[in-house]
Amino acid sequence: MAEELQFQMGSILGDLPSFDPHNFSQHRPSDPSNPSRMVPTTYHPTHNRTLPPPHQVITTEVKNILIRSFYQRAEDKQMRPKRPASEHLAGEHGNKHFRASSSSSAQGL
Amino acid sequence: MSVWNYVVTAQKPTSVTHSCVGNFTSPQELNLIIAKCTRIEIHLLTPQGLQAILDVPLFGRIATLELFRPHGEAQDLLFIATEGYSFCVLQWDSDSSELITRAMGDVSDRIGRQTDNGQIGIIDPDCRFVGLHLYDGLFKVIPFDNKGQLKEAYNIRLEELQVLDIKFLYGCAKPTIAVLYQDNKDARHVKTYEVSQKEKDFVEGPWSQNNLDNGADLLIPVPSPLCGVLIIGEETIVYCSANALKAVPIRSSITKAYGRVDVDGSRYLLGDHAGLIHLLVITHEKEKVTGLKMELLGETSIASTISYLDNAVVFIGSSYGDSQLIKLNMQPDANGSYVEIIETYVNLGPIVDFCVVDLERQGQGQVVTCSGAYKDGSLRIVRNGIGINEQASVELPGIKGMWSLKSSIDDAFDTFLVVSFISETRILAMNIEDELEDTEIEGFLSQVQTLFCHDAVYNQLVQITSNSVRLVSSTTRELRNKWDAPAGFTVNVATANASQVLLATGGGHLVYIEIGDGTLTEVKHAQLEYEVSCLDINPTGDNPIYSQLAAVGMWTDISVRIFVLPDLTLITKEQLGGEIIPRSVLLCAFEGISYLLCALGDGHLLNFQLDTRTGELRDRKKVSLGTQPITLRTFSSKNATHVFAASDRPSVIYSNNKKLIYSNVNLKEVSHMCPFNSGAFPDSLAIAREGELTIGTIDEIQKLHIRTIPIGEHARRICHQEQTRTFAICSLRNQSSAEESEMHFVRLMDDRDFEFLSTYPLDAFEYGCSILSCSFTDDKNVYYCVGTSYVLPEENEPTKGRILVFGVEEGKLQLVAEKETKGSVYSLNAFNGKLLAAINQKIQLYKWTLREDGTRELQSECGHHGHILALYVQTRGDFIVVGDLMKSISLLIYKHEEGAIEELARDYNASWMTAVGILDDDTYLGADNCYNLFTVKRHSEATRDDERSRMEVVGEYHLGEFVNRFRHGSLVMRLPDSETSQIPTMIFGTVNGVIGVMASLPQEQYAFLEKLQTSMRKVIKGVGGLSHEQWRSFKNEKRSADAKSFLDGDLIESFLDLSRRKMEEIAKGMDVQVEDLCKRVEELTRLH
Repeated sequence: MAEELQFQMGSILGDLPSFDPHNFSQHRPSDPSNPSRMVPTTYHPTHNRTLPPPHQVITTEVKNILIRSFYQRAEDKQMRPKRPASEHLAGEHGNKHFRASSSSSAQGL
Repeated sequence: MSVWNYVVTAQKPTSVTHSCVGNFTSPQELNLIIAKCTRIEIHLLTPQGLQAILDVPLFGRIATLELFRPHGEAQDLLFIATEGYSFCVLQWDSDSSELITRAMGDVSDRIGRQTDNGQIGIIDPDCRFVGLHLYDGLFKVIPFDNKGQLKEAYNIRLEELQVLDIKFLYGCAKPTIAVLYQDNKDARHVKTYEVSQKEKDFVEGPWSQNNLDNGADLLIPVPSPLCGVLIIGEETIVYCSANALKAVPIRSSITKAYGRVDVDGSRYLLGDHAGLIHLLVITHEKEKVTGLKMELLGETSIASTISYLDNAVVFIGSSYGDSQLIKLNMQPDANGSYVEIIETYVNLGPIVDFCVVDLERQGQGQVVTCSGAYKDGSLRIVRNGIGINEQASVELPGIKGMWSLKSSIDDAFDTFLVVSFISETRILAMNIEDELEDTEIEGFLSQVQTLFCHDAVYNQLVQITSNSVRLVSSTTRELRNKWDAPAGFTVNVATANASQVLLATGGGHLVYIEIGDGTLTEVKHAQLEYEVSCLDINPTGDNPIYSQLAAVGMWTDISVRIFVLPDLTLITKEQLGGEIIPRSVLLCAFEGISYLLCALGDGHLLNFQLDTRTGELRDRKKVSLGTQPITLRTFSSKNATHVFAASDRPSVIYSNNKKLIYSNVNLKEVSHMCPFNSGAFPDSLAIAREGELTIGTIDEIQKLHIRTIPIGEHARRICHQEQTRTFAICSLRNQSSAEESEMHFVRLMDDRDFEFLSTYPLDAFEYGCSILSCSFTDDKNVYYCVGTSYVLPEENEPTKGRILVFGVEEGKLQLVAEKETKGSVYSLNAFNGKLLAAINQKIQLYKWTLREDGTRELQSECGHHGHILALYVQTRGDFIVVGDLMKSISLLIYKHEEGAIEELARDYNASWMTAVGILDDDTYLGADNCYNLFTVKRHSEATRDDERSRMEVVGEYHLGEFVNRFRHGSLVMRLPDSETSQIPTMIFGTVNGVIGVMASLPQEQYAFLEKLQTSMRKVIKGVGGLSHEQWRSFKNEKRSADAKSFLDGDLIESFLDLSRRKMEEIAKGMDVQVEDLCKRVEELTRLH
């Protein structure tokens, strides 16, 4: 709606942002055939704060992506809780139980 | 020239590559920050417009520039990444007005292929990550912790190899990027990824969009609440988010830059390849995007960056034309344009070619560049020093002094010009026809020499001669009072201001007189031990008509003394040292600082800062301006005071950022100068030189002057022909609509008014590649030779070209001869009365022969194969130096007897060349596409063949700029006696609009300056923690090595910007006097 109102008012450039209404309020357009050459002071720092605090000298992790993913997988494995022990331990291992009949037949061979 | 070279910037880069807006210098202040390749500029938005605060040189080439604000910060920080894989985060410390480094680091990887489409550096809008795409298949992340501190960076594998753009999206719970890429079937798609901090990996993002516009090249992230991304193509613009997809077709265009207008991201400015500015509007209902609209606003320079500033004012940064400040008007003007250009900022880049000429024939070199690209192409005339625009001139030999006077003290204009000769004084005034004619001031003496004149209070005029001081009414012109010198004494030197007179007679008598209404009161007399050589009472304090101090220069003890008026109390005595007497002293103030200038009889100038309260003289500095005595005089121009130093090498002394600058005046010799501001010639100077009196206005006071000749097309080659006073250029024009979009021309221009005189259109697909003015053996005429190339779409390398020979007849180009070649004619050189052409991989020599019918033709004589592409050729005598596309530099020789060209030696490195130059018979200079300069030397005396055939690299240096051309020559006027004029120089032009000077120094001076450079490195720190030593190290893809045999003049000359204390420290460390060191460095600044 707001957008449509703007168009009705006749300009797509209506309501341009203004952060400080004073900015450019006294600007006098210069002669376009005589371009300005702004000559600001050149900065030559002589202070010691051109170096950041030691912990802000950033480097890249040395581990490469592949190694990192290996480690990460390994870590994941360690982190993952081991399979919880079954409540029916006996039942699960049921078929490993010694079966007298078969063994006897084997012996019989 | 030699291998010991000094490289210095005469014109800093002007091409704007990046810009951003934010609160950088304070939470309340809005700043525009501009990157110009190796420098950033910080500007402040003010009611008057943009105010430049600081120009910050960086020891790196800027790849990305972003302002951002971490949580809890009141103002923005600046993130900069360099092409050399360094980054830094800068913060403005407003207490000390210094830039401090918050963080920095090296983000290079040992392996990895550099991205083809440039480096990408982005910051998450919620400040969780910095993202960098520097190598194919890798995305580097630098995380922020919750205090806004950066942590260790890590890489994430990015499946997409041909990335065109990456942006962080707004309004995402997890940091999310959108990647615009091309697949191996050349189709373009956008994909999104979330960055998982824990896994250090990408997780598939919320959406993707396949099969976009084939020209899609740019992503614009849209802020909350709309979010999503705009995908800018050549035919369509698409808005894409997790829940909406909108597209709008556009007129075919390539968008080069964008700028967000509204904070909510509903409007954007888009700048295209033709310099058109469009407004892109996202229409929406609440947070739902309903459509896109594109509206043409108008035309600007071709933008490389767009920043909306405030109140409808927008900065257009350009690397192809001048940067601009534009205003967006609510309603279109008569041409339908909403754009009003309210300011332009000069850009010389890209300098594709240039020539050095002396158009005014004064011994002053000027550089004429082919600048800009496409429709923003222009020629620029770049000249060092300050020009005088002559308004009127009259022959008047023997002038001994000049002063201008008003007919009433509050008159705006001067009426009289008093001109003194050895035994008479003439008064000139403007008549009704605005001509200077003789007139009379009855009360003045006209049969004697005048020593000094001045306007005085109560509408009076003062004339001082060797016998008297005369006070005259400026209205009746009659004598009101006079003071006579005591019998037996004559006045030797005198000075005055509106209410005071100070004069010295023989025998060291100093007399101080005050001027009243019709009165001259001798207030004080002092007897000095020696004769007075010069004196001054120019008021520098608050009272413009009264000076509290007098400066007096002395014979015999060679001193300058400061006296307090009216008592003539001596408060300071400064020994000048040496045996040269002071010839002119001047008290003056620049930018609120008082100075004493003292000119010596040998062309040296001493300057001191003057404490007007105590008379103390501090910070003594010495410069050499010329070789003859100097006369100092103040004048005003554009509301600022400057000093004119008249001598054999006239200069203007002015102050910029509280530093004194000496600028050459482009006149050969000036004996006297006085300001003469008349109705007919406002703001003018009267100048006495070489038997003439000239009235002229003075250029704007700055070191380098640039004049722009817009030509509306892209000039690629330029050449000057002295005999016909013309320039010829090869240029191309882009037809905006037609299928066959480019047309190439050879154009002839007048070298005075730069009007096109004549045009020769080249064939379809035919490019002008080289141009030369030359003459041939047995032919008195001069010709323009043009080398061309047929660039056919189906061919990889051109297989056909032409050499065209033109004569200039009555201001027209006349084709005299034409020769077809089997390839592109990359270079043409005049060579022993013949023509040497570089054609694809071959060097070919042509002679100019007479046919039986009396016409001439180019006939092939001999050639030399063995290059990949012989792009750049320079010759010297029989030597031919070839810069190859990828095989560095080789040296050929033409053997007259055999009529053959043979290879003598080559550099076996694989440097991709961009320009070559010849320093001397054995030493050659090259620039490569890794922005290095290097010198190679051949061993002509070596005993073994293989040693003779191998050139040794003797100098290496990282310039950080892409050089397109070297030319011998100088920007400054050469004087036979001055020390600096013995130093041979070369000029180079670069893509970023840099004009540089390379000077060959004597080895001992080189050694001295190298020591200074080493000391300077310890004192001047690299912004963002970047190291100067590393920056200047030679580097290409294969290796890196410390700079050798090249010095960084920019660093060395910044010595003059240091505080006195730092200067003294350095001088002490080098075991030299600080004054000598200043003088030596100051002299170097006069090379450019």
